[in-house]
Amino acid sequence: MEHLWELYANGTWNEPFLIVSICSFVTASVILYLLLIGSRNSHIKNERLRTEYGILIDKLLFTVVFEDLPFSDIIQNENYKKLKDNRFFREFTTESVINLHKNYNGVYARKLEQFYKDSGLKNDSLKKLKSLKWDIRCKGITELAEMNVHEVFDTILTNSKARNKTLQITAINACIKLEGTKGIAHLTEHPYPIDDWTQVNIIAAFKKHDVGDTQGIENLLESKNTTVVALGLKLIKELKLTQKVPFVEQLATQAPNTFLKYEAQSVLQQLTD
Amino acid sequence: MTFLSDELLFFIDLYLNLILGYAILIMSSYLILAYLSAKELRSYLKKNSFVDYEVLLTSEFAPKLSLIAPAYNEGFTIEENVKSLLSLNYNNYQVIVVNDGSKDNSMEILIKTYDLELTELEVHSKIETQKIRGLYRSRNAAFKKLIVVDKENGGKADALNAGLNIAEYPYVVCIDVDCILDKDSLLKLAKPFLESYGKRIIATGGVVRIANQCVIKNGRMVEVNVPDRLLSRIQVLEYLRAFLLGRMAWGRLDGLLLISGAFGAFDKEIALLSGGYSTKTVGEDMELVVRMRRYMLENKLPYSVSYIPDPLCWTEAPEDFQIFKKQRSRWMRGTIETLSFHKRMCLNPKYKLLGMISIPYWTLFEFLAPGIEFIGVITTLVFLVLGLLNWHFFFLLVLFVYTFAIFFSVIALYCEERTYHKYPKQADFLKLLLAAFIEPFYFHPLTVYAALVGYKDKIKGTSGWGEMTRKGFTKKS
Repeated sequence: MEHLWELYANGTWNEPFLIVSICSFVTASVILYLLLIGSRNSHIKNERLRTEYGILIDKLLFTVVFEDLPFSDIIQNENYKKLKDNRFFREFTTESVINLHKNYNGVYARKLEQFYKDSGLKNDSLKKLKSLKWDIRCKGITELAEMNVHEVFDTILTNSKARNKTLQITAINACIKLEGTKGIAHLTEHPYPIDDWTQVNIIAAFKKHDVGDTQGIENLLESKNTTVVALGLKLIKELKLTQKVPFVEQLATQAPNTFLKYEAQSVLQQLTD
Repeated sequence: MTFLSDELLFFIDLYLNLILGYAILIMSSYLILAYLSAKELRSYLKKNSFVDYEVLLTSEFAPKLSLIAPAYNEGFTIEENVKSLLSLNYNNYQVIVVNDGSKDNSMEILIKTYDLELTELEVHSKIETQKIRGLYRSRNAAFKKLIVVDKENGGKADALNAGLNIAEYPYVVCIDVDCILDKDSLLKLAKPFLESYGKRIIATGGVVRIANQCVIKNGRMVEVNVPDRLLSRIQVLEYLRAFLLGRMAWGRLDGLLLISGAFGAFDKEIALLSGGYSTKTVGEDMELVVRMRRYMLENKLPYSVSYIPDPLCWTEAPEDFQIFKKQRSRWMRGTIETLSFHKRMCLNPKYKLLGMISIPYWTLFEFLAPGIEFIGVITTLVFLVLGLLNWHFFFLLVLFVYTFAIFFSVIALYCEERTYHKYPKQADFLKLLLAAFIEPFYFHPLTVYAALVGYKDKIKGTSGWGEMTRKGFTKKS
């Protein structure tokens, strides 16, 4: 330190500074270049593995869905035995199961859910749900909701109250998928404004998962949070819930502000036309 | 003599230290911005992996957008370009093509292709523009989103203002008609308008990338390539640095001054209240953003400008030096004009971060940098002639700047690799890496020269864009 100060004090710092900087830039460039090469190689390797595993997983899931083989027989597959503990393979299998599950209903979907449970992939998702990282938790929530794991509803509900908006939206969507209106009941007490993007996502989740029982949506209209009331109105309008007209009428007469009053009147007009 | 020599030596020393200090300042600012950008990029990509843009496609609550595409002598490509604008992944939008008094057959092509007829659309002229000759709509229901405005020539800003007057929706997306848009670009651009509560999002912008030598099919990008021509290849690298390592950080700081004229969305009401695009500058895109921000700050209205790092728009970069020079000198004139129109904002705490950081930064590192560099070169030559040049120090200084330039380009390449990975071919990656080594000797002096031409044009009072010839994209049949 004293040496550095001496260099500065007697005005001869420029050259050593330049030399050190040049060396640092060169070293940093080389390190970044090596990291870059490493990243490209890992990209290429992952692509190769995805192709390789993809064939194997497709065959495996075909057996699960279309052949009535018990899980104990499926795991006799040599390739599966070899790879079942490989992290990348498990991740990719989960991804494939989830994607396939989106396309099926009824028996096929239930078979996939059973495989998800038997193969331990469900446990992987449950572990993700406990992660401290919000993005991993989001992944776990998406997987568990898609596979209709109702037992985690309460945990997901807790996550839907998080301040992180992405986690909040993912969790609310999952709650709606799992338990319909019950998944948004807590919003009546929501302390923060819900932005339009979150509202659009909630409405889309109701439409996507075809939530039949809309009992309780009217409670949103009683919230002290005006954005929650606005969400309730939008839901009633988008889902064309004519049975909620009396609640909307009540809001139109007792709305806390002109914006909500106008919105309620507009919804009423649309529902009664 | 000894006294003179001492004095001279003192000034030389002072000069060298000032140059070194300026270089350190500019490099440090780049590194800080790169760090902030990388952090923001990482966070954005994490969040974005859970975003389902499809919800906007099916929602009637999706922001309604009016796309404004000014066209001047675009006869060769207008048919295909408009078709591509009409087929974007979005529901609540209209396309307003403004024919800015083209001298070619653009209007005839549009009328014939889209079966247009004159319409009696009511125009509320909130901003004065050149005379509108006619407004056209299609008889064909398939093109019901399309409005064509035929007007007298008044320049790009005037054409955009005409579009602003006609736009029926609350948000306007201003684009260059010859740009290639990602099919989901409107979904991504519209999302920020829904996200903010209590703060009005007045503008959003996305990343523009270079499309030279890329393959386009039906108005969509199907294959990304790195150009063989050095001038455009280095611009690929330059755009990566500017958009990935620069603007992302300014977006995070909410100090963004520029949303590219090639593709940006604005809150129509605020754009109109601020007076629309200025026809007095060739940097109308930057000037509008600054004016809108200034309007919000002066009226104490909470606001934000959003920035999306996804590559949403692909544009053709100049491959010829003459066109490149015209483009860059125009950019410099635009910068000078914007900074001069809003000079009272500079270092004015009333304008918060914009006045205290963004505008001084642009003044010091964008407007003044080429001039300082030019003075540096001249002084070095004088030192050389007078035999005063300290060769050892000079080489160290050159090497310092050169190694930093390469280092910074490698950071940009690394960021691109870890994020969007748009250049997966090994050959393309090596081409870009090689470009990083060549750039400081070849491309950088050209940009400085073009900027100096911009200074000269500004002093001479040159106005207007000059002819910008484009080669056209490689199309896949």
